[in-house]
Amino acid sequence: MSIDKQLREELREAADSMNCPPELYERARQSYQHYVNEKRGKSPMKKRMLAGIAAVAILIPSAAFAASYLADDIFGSSSTIEQHGGTQEDYQEIEGMLQAAKGKLTEDEFQEYMELTKQLMQLKLKITDENGVKHEEKLTKEEQQQFEQLASKLAPYFEKINGTAKP
Amino acid sequence: MNDKELLPWLEKATLGDESAFQLVYQATHQDVYRTVAFLVYNKQDIEDIVNEVYMHMWRSFHKYDPNRPFRFWLHGITVRLVQDWKRKTWRRIRLFERNRQMTCEQQFDWTDKAVLQSEMQHELFSLVRQLSYKLRVVVILRYFHDYALEEIADMLQIPVGTVKSRHHLALKQLRKRHERTGGDVYVH
Repeated sequence: MSIDKQLREELREAADSMNCPPELYERARQSYQHYVNEKRGKSPMKKRMLAGIAAVAILIPSAAFAASYLADDIFGSSSTIEQHGGTQEDYQEIEGMLQAAKGKLTEDEFQEYMELTKQLMQLKLKITDENGVKHEEKLTKEEQQQFEQLASKLAPYFEKINGTAKP
Repeated sequence: MNDKELLPWLEKATLGDESAFQLVYQATHQDVYRTVAFLVYNKQDIEDIVNEVYMHMWRSFHKYDPNRPFRFWLHGITVRLVQDWKRKTWRRIRLFERNRQMTCEQQFDWTDKAVLQSEMQHELFSLVRQLSYKLRVVVILRYFHDYALEEIADMLQIPVGTVKSRHHLALKQLRKRHERTGGDVYVH
């Protein structure tokens, strides 16, 4: 008998006597389950990580935007003043004014200033048509009073901002 | 079950169908186990590697080329994982030392009784088990799985010339030892 043939025969016979232990099935099944779970739902940890990354990705730009545009707090967006004959440059100018106020006033003062400015601007927007022309007669008597009150309340802030206030 | 019949089940198994997994396991586990057991002798290691082979099978089924025989792919994975295991063992020298000690001390504990018995009945088989790994893997793929030398080279990712010389060397050693112990092998 050639060695080739004998090798084949003996390996075949030896293989027949080597049997895979039955308990290995359970182990392979568990690994398989693990694979399926991994493939289907990802792990809960992975899900949380993804949600976290998504949240950060959304928060970062909106935080940066909110910090840079104070004027948005007052008008909502630049399109509001564009509807009343304003331009992007005007908007930037107002923004610059507000930024300057933020730098010079204390936090409490600034909040008050913003609130008053907001009310004043609402009234100003009301009397300004789409071409930027003012029509003060549009205001009611009460509104005119309110306007004047706001202007007088804001005056000391303006002095502070422009550096004319006396200590 | 042949390769073509097995393929749809394999695909189902990778998609999470547990009955398909059972079927694939039943159809392949003896072959995988025996292949590993010819190459690695520690019972625990054999089982670890077999388990790894199945994990690998699910994970990289998408890389399988259906134009090639499934068993060739499966044996490729098996041989590669056995080699990975060997490399890891060498790297972790301390573990290797421990393994060697265990090999010396508990030789009769971990070797299957059945294997011992066939070693006694089959002299050539016991000689194959004494060959170095590099020679043995060629002998197993050639004479147990009936692969051509070119296919073995492809599977082991070594040049055909290397496979030829290892094959030659393995047979030479087997013949020499066999003759010494009085076997009836004709040199041709």
